[in-house]
Amino acid sequence: MSVETLLLYFFAATSLAGGVLMLVARHPMRVALALISSMLSLGAIYAILGVHVIAVFQVLIYVGAVMVFMVYVIMLLDVRDASFLDRYGRAIVPSVAAAALLAMALGVAVSRGRIITAAELSGLHPGRSPAEFGVQPFSVEFLEGYWLHFELTSVLLLAAVVAAIAVIKAGRRHDG
Amino acid sequence: MRMDLLTLIVLLPLAGFFLNGLLGPRLGKGFVSVVGCGLPILAFFATLRAFTQLQASDAGALAETAYTWAIVGDFRFEIAFWFDRLSALMTLIVTGVGSLIHIYSTGYMKDDPGYARYFSYLNLFLFFMLLLVLGRSLLVCFVGWEGVGLASYLLIGFWFDDPAKAAAGKKAFITNRIGDAGFLLGMFLIYHALGTLDFDAINAAFNGPVAPAVSASLVGLLLFVGATGKSAQIPLHVWLPDAMAGPTPVSALIHAATMVTAGIYLVARLNGLYLHAPEASQVIAVVGLATAFFAATIAVVQTDIKKVLAYSTVSQLGLMFLALGVGAYGVAVFHVYTHAFFKACLFLGAGSVIHAMSGEQDIRKMGGLAKKIPITFVTFAVATAAIAGIPPLAGFFSKDEILWFAFASEYGGSPVLWALASFSALLTSFYMFRLLWLTFLTPSRMDHEAEHHVHESPVSMTGVLVVLAILSAIGGFFHVYDFLEPVMPMPVENEALEHLKLPLIGIAIAVAFAGLAGAFLVYRGGLATAERLQQRFAGLHRVLSGKYYVDELYEAVLGKPLHWVSEHVFLNVGDRTLIDGSLHGLTSLAQRTAGRLSRVETGNLQFYLLLAVIGVALSLAWMWGNG
Amino acid sequence: MDRTQLLLTLSIALFCLGLVGVMIRRNALVMLMCMELMLNGVVLSLVTFAAHSGTLSGAVLVFLVFVVAAAEIGIAIPIVLLLARQRHTLDVGAYSGLKG
Repeated sequence: MSVETLLLYFFAATSLAGGVLMLVARHPMRVALALISSMLSLGAIYAILGVHVIAVFQVLIYVGAVMVFMVYVIMLLDVRDASFLDRYGRAIVPSVAAAALLAMALGVAVSRGRIITAAELSGLHPGRSPAEFGVQPFSVEFLEGYWLHFELTSVLLLAAVVAAIAVIKAGRRHDG
Repeated sequence: MRMDLLTLIVLLPLAGFFLNGLLGPRLGKGFVSVVGCGLPILAFFATLRAFTQLQASDAGALAETAYTWAIVGDFRFEIAFWFDRLSALMTLIVTGVGSLIHIYSTGYMKDDPGYARYFSYLNLFLFFMLLLVLGRSLLVCFVGWEGVGLASYLLIGFWFDDPAKAAAGKKAFITNRIGDAGFLLGMFLIYHALGTLDFDAINAAFNGPVAPAVSASLVGLLLFVGATGKSAQIPLHVWLPDAMAGPTPVSALIHAATMVTAGIYLVARLNGLYLHAPEASQVIAVVGLATAFFAATIAVVQTDIKKVLAYSTVSQLGLMFLALGVGAYGVAVFHVYTHAFFKACLFLGAGSVIHAMSGEQDIRKMGGLAKKIPITFVTFAVATAAIAGIPPLAGFFSKDEILWFAFASEYGGSPVLWALASFSALLTSFYMFRLLWLTFLTPSRMDHEAEHHVHESPVSMTGVLVVLAILSAIGGFFHVYDFLEPVMPMPVENEALEHLKLPLIGIAIAVAFAGLAGAFLVYRGGLATAERLQQRFAGLHRVLSGKYYVDELYEAVLGKPLHWVSEHVFLNVGDRTLIDGSLHGLTSLAQRTAGRLSRVETGNLQFYLLLAVIGVALSLAWMWGNG
Repeated sequence: MDRTQLLLTLSIALFCLGLVGVMIRRNALVMLMCMELMLNGVVLSLVTFAAHSGTLSGAVLVFLVFVVAAAEIGIAIPIVLLLARQRHTLDVGAYSGLKG
């Protein structure tokens, strides 16, 4: 049992605990903090795996932008309403059962399946070799091979900005 | 479609129907009169031309195929026309008397708002009647048969705003349809046995050496059922008196001269079949005689001028069927020919009287019209004498031949038939002269109002009356049965009775004059004697005026049970419970199901997501479970 | 168990926890956060595969998922804001206008 594996188990437990806390906590702020901790654990796991670029992006984008935004909104709104007192909806047991069913199905698939090795994968895509997960190799791969996706995502972000403005306008009209 | 002479004859009135029906209301009465009368007159001249062609040719008949309707396997259904001596005679009567009545109608219906509609229906009738008499096969004949029934319905119920008149139209049509069921069955049997529906082929098959594989009597009876409906014999006679609700020229044309003779035409046309069907012929003779007798008894007590003539028509038709029943087909057609003249003259004369009396039809309120409307009186008197059988007018010749063959025919004639027929002839003479006296010759019993307005009819009406009266007088000298000999042979007479021919003629003349004398004696001074007789024979009078209660019988035995079944079984159970119920049931089932299914839509997002997750999980499990 | 299997199991567990959270919790913002947890679970499985097989394309795909997630949250939160302003509550039980 190397240190690596131990750390892996530790952070896995942490992220799982964060997930469970999310379901249980009453105040949305606590839920947000649990999610943040879960995301940070995941970032750690990515780092242990050696995918450093993604670990950095996880912390920067996910925790640093998305969750901060979420925290801002939680602080903005009055969260002590009906959903504060009564946390859960009506169909608790069926929901848990359905999710468990899904988990079992997925688990069975994973256990039965065989993960393709790098060698086979490179056989499928001749010309690409496994590389270090640093920023530079990542950028080269990204902008060389996936520049179409890059353009499309920029369009998507543009759409998101426009939509955000439209929502503000609609909100203003509603208020006024 | 080849446009030959016979097809032209048939299509001319049809063109009149369309022209008058579609353009008539817009183009006015002048147009309608010219088209409505002109086209039948043209058809009459076309018939004369065809007739000369027929006489000039060697063949027994002219045949034309207008249109092949369908070819089913070996059989060709064609619209074909056949012009032999019988069809020639019938077509001449139909177009000739028909044209005269069209001309009369221009005067009689002058003030009616439905003028164009009337003439279009009248032309339509002429078209169908010509199809009937010119048709080569039972099929074309049947088309005409149904069509004249339709035209009759349309014309009887012409003033349809009056529900009683509309009901009379319906009664005529429905009673006809009952007879038509028999006609159809007969037609099916013939087609099944012989594979053909052509008249000439049917007659040849039955006259031929090998008897066809169907009972001639059965077919004959079934076709006679159809004839019973169309020609108003017992038990389907009930529609004809009610049909007097239509305009009087309609009664003259359809219910005296042409349509009602369709039944006689059918039997006469199929004489080859009926000569080999002794049982059916006997039934025809008996039914005809019974009808003649009963109708004559009812006519004696009728008080409506048109009803008397209606029952008289039924009675005369009965005599014609009597002749057919004893095998004297040519003689029956002879009587059709003379009857067309004098009955049309009588009906049109009655129309003239009604016109003069401003709509009054009750003869108890008439009298003394002879001096006021002389032309109508003279023509009516001539026609009355003709129907009574006074020699040498037309009716004498035809009726006398019928009586002789009823007595002496080897094919079912007997003294009993002759005696009852003679008694009916006596009654006929009696009630017709009764009608003449009460309407024209007795002192006036008219309302003062009506008396002031009495006037002779216009020339369009009286002219036709004169023509028909002349034909009633001299028509009998043309011996139709001799003319028709090649087509329908005369029946074999009992040689032993030959010596009785002259005495029987004497008795017939005596009977005619006895009727005249009786009517004179009873009705000479008006209604007084008649009323005393009525009180003495009150019960008999009640039965006769109630027309033997046949209508009431039909209503009780057929009408009420059918009505009950319709109401309780078909309406309540069938229609409301089953059909409406199943429809309502289906809709309410759909609504309830929809109501229950819509409970899925809770509006709750998380519920929807739960359903989606369950679905995904199940499908994944199934997919991976099955590899 | 080897680390790939462990991480995949963790990924499944996070995904299903997030799913349960979305189905159960009544607060709209908490629902959104649970959806983020689901996304994280998926991303973890992607990274696991990328690390196991050594392919960079996996990492690129993960990056694209981040972008999409950011765009999504940028829209979803304003929508929830508007909704909350209209109904004066964050309780999803009150958002059943499509009932029936």
